[in-house]
Amino acid sequence: MTYRTASIIAYIAFFAVVLALPLVLNSFWTNRVAIYLVYSICAIGISMSWGYAGILSLGQGLFFGMGAYMLAMSLTLAVPENNPVPQLMLLNMEPNAVRDLCCVTTGSFLWIPFRSVAVGMIAGIVVPCILAAGIGYVMFKRRTTGVYVSIITLAFALIGQLLIINNQPLTGGFNGLADLALLEIGGFEFDPYGPSAYYAVAFTLIAVILLARYMLTGRIGQVLKAIREDEARARYLGYDVENFKLFIFCVSAGVAGLAGMLFTLTSEFATPSLMATSLSISMVIWAATGGRASLLGACIGALIVNFVGSLASESATFQPVWPIILGLLFVVVVLFMPNGIAGIFKAFIERNGRTERLGETRPSGKTERSDKSERVQTELTAREA
Amino acid sequence: METFVIGLSIASILFMVALGLAIIYGTMSVINLAHGEMVMIGAYTTVLATKHLGINIYLCLPLAFLVTATFGLIIERTVVRRLYGRLLDTLLATWGIALILQQLIRIHFGLGLFGVEIDGLGSDLQNVPVPAELQQAIRVFGANIPVYRAFVFVAALALGAITWLLIYKTRFGSQLRAVSVARNTAAACGINDKRVNMLAFAYGSGLAGIAGVLVSGFKTVSPDMGTPYVVDAFLVVVAGGVGHLLGTFASAGILGEVQSFVATWANDVYGRTVLFAVVIFILLFKPQGLFVTKSR
Repeated sequence: MTYRTASIIAYIAFFAVVLALPLVLNSFWTNRVAIYLVYSICAIGISMSWGYAGILSLGQGLFFGMGAYMLAMSLTLAVPENNPVPQLMLLNMEPNAVRDLCCVTTGSFLWIPFRSVAVGMIAGIVVPCILAAGIGYVMFKRRTTGVYVSIITLAFALIGQLLIINNQPLTGGFNGLADLALLEIGGFEFDPYGPSAYYAVAFTLIAVILLARYMLTGRIGQVLKAIREDEARARYLGYDVENFKLFIFCVSAGVAGLAGMLFTLTSEFATPSLMATSLSISMVIWAATGGRASLLGACIGALIVNFVGSLASESATFQPVWPIILGLLFVVVVLFMPNGIAGIFKAFIERNGRTERLGETRPSGKTERSDKSERVQTELTAREA
Repeated sequence: METFVIGLSIASILFMVALGLAIIYGTMSVINLAHGEMVMIGAYTTVLATKHLGINIYLCLPLAFLVTATFGLIIERTVVRRLYGRLLDTLLATWGIALILQQLIRIHFGLGLFGVEIDGLGSDLQNVPVPAELQQAIRVFGANIPVYRAFVFVAALALGAITWLLIYKTRFGSQLRAVSVARNTAAACGINDKRVNMLAFAYGSGLAGIAGVLVSGFKTVSPDMGTPYVVDAFLVVVAGGVGHLLGTFASAGILGEVQSFVATWANDVYGRTVLFAVVIFILLFKPQGLFVTKSR
């Protein structure tokens, strides 16, 4: 069995399990698993930018949080009591302010477009993309690389979080936006504890995986890998390195924004803690555990870490030890499994494939694609174009 | 004037934390996100020592240095040493270590699980008694200056001077500089670069521990107090120029004052926001930092 067949089987098995799960889960666990699948989408975003292009963004939570806030704003306005002006603004407004969204507090006019849920849903993807394009344009055009990208994105996420906490009258401050209406599209209501929201998340996840795989196994993916391995060489070969990086950074931010919206859909709140440094770094760890350069691996990593985490937090003995286990997991993954679960899976399949071939009388013509030959392949494809 | 002095004391703490980080990052290219936890451990050393041993805050300075340097040594020997040359991986692994250290304090080093609780640990907030002579204020140029803030400033200057002497005037210092410029060449010349790494990591952690003692005098001590420091201090290091003592000193001064003035003029949140904005601006337009080390 080659690695390619094995991974296709793995993808199909994963999709089947994800789609079948609500049949056996109660409503509480349906909701929990839906949230873990949302985190999986985040991990895919990380895998796209970090695993394929080598851009480690520690500000992914900023885009995730923005996506969550965009939809939460629409769903806040969808509650009847919040019309024409949300309760949180009434609590904080100046005594004689006009009770209209245009001018009840400074900046409240920003909420006006969100009266339409459709606008909120589009903004949840587009706004993080535009923001990422702005940050990425300045960063990559200045040829900022490596760890400086991580630090700058981290600083942006911190600024975002502080600004939201600080603008209490406009954003709900530290408490964020809660008491949201359920999302309703064309008369169909998504219930966070029922299969409807679960399937919304599950189908989005599958679509994101398939689209990302289609994109990254193609030419773009090859060029991005070349950039990850040796940026200067890719540039000398005539590729516009900055634009490729900018592109994948924006796509990754859009994916995070999409995940943020689905988070609002399943958890019914949005708070500044979604933009916290710890969540951004956790996302990186999910991807690293599963395998940073594998979309499915990153996805499964997020599921496993979160699932075990929530099991641990339910038992009184394990709850205080869990952060320590999580910390050890960071260290162990970095030290001993740089390619994560997917790396182990790949090594296993390849070892088995080799013994099978040794047993055959006539060796098949296929050669293994080890990391080295893959890199050579990348360079060859890069040179051909 | 008061704002200026508050800025100076913020800058002093930043400088002490950043100095350790700069030595570690500059020499070994390791991003130590557990550095903030060294500040936290320094602060807890003070809490425990004042509570159980009854010693005052001055004696805690060398004690905390030893304790955190030991922690640094252990971290270097067990984890960081395997990760040289993998910059982004050091960042992730040390974040894991930071999580572990925070949680160890919360659960009383694991004893909490067996019902044993040590006074001074746990997830509660702790306070450290400050000696009477440090609680007063003196009047300079018609402004009230708390003695404690002045003490912090003097301590930072002294540590800066000691570190400067250590790096530029001792045998260890010249080895350290040799390793940071050209590791392989230095090793080929007979310098034990692994030992240099180890000691530099321990010394850097020790500096953070001292900063922790001083922080504990004017801030409440809690297990997660360290994280903001490591982010700020790292920004100071990169903004000042990596491997440049004077650059770290200057950028800590500038950023501390910026934060203090904006915070007084608007509020704390804007203080930090402007701080980050300034650093992003510096990094985008001078990626090498304010001061560039010339090297061939």
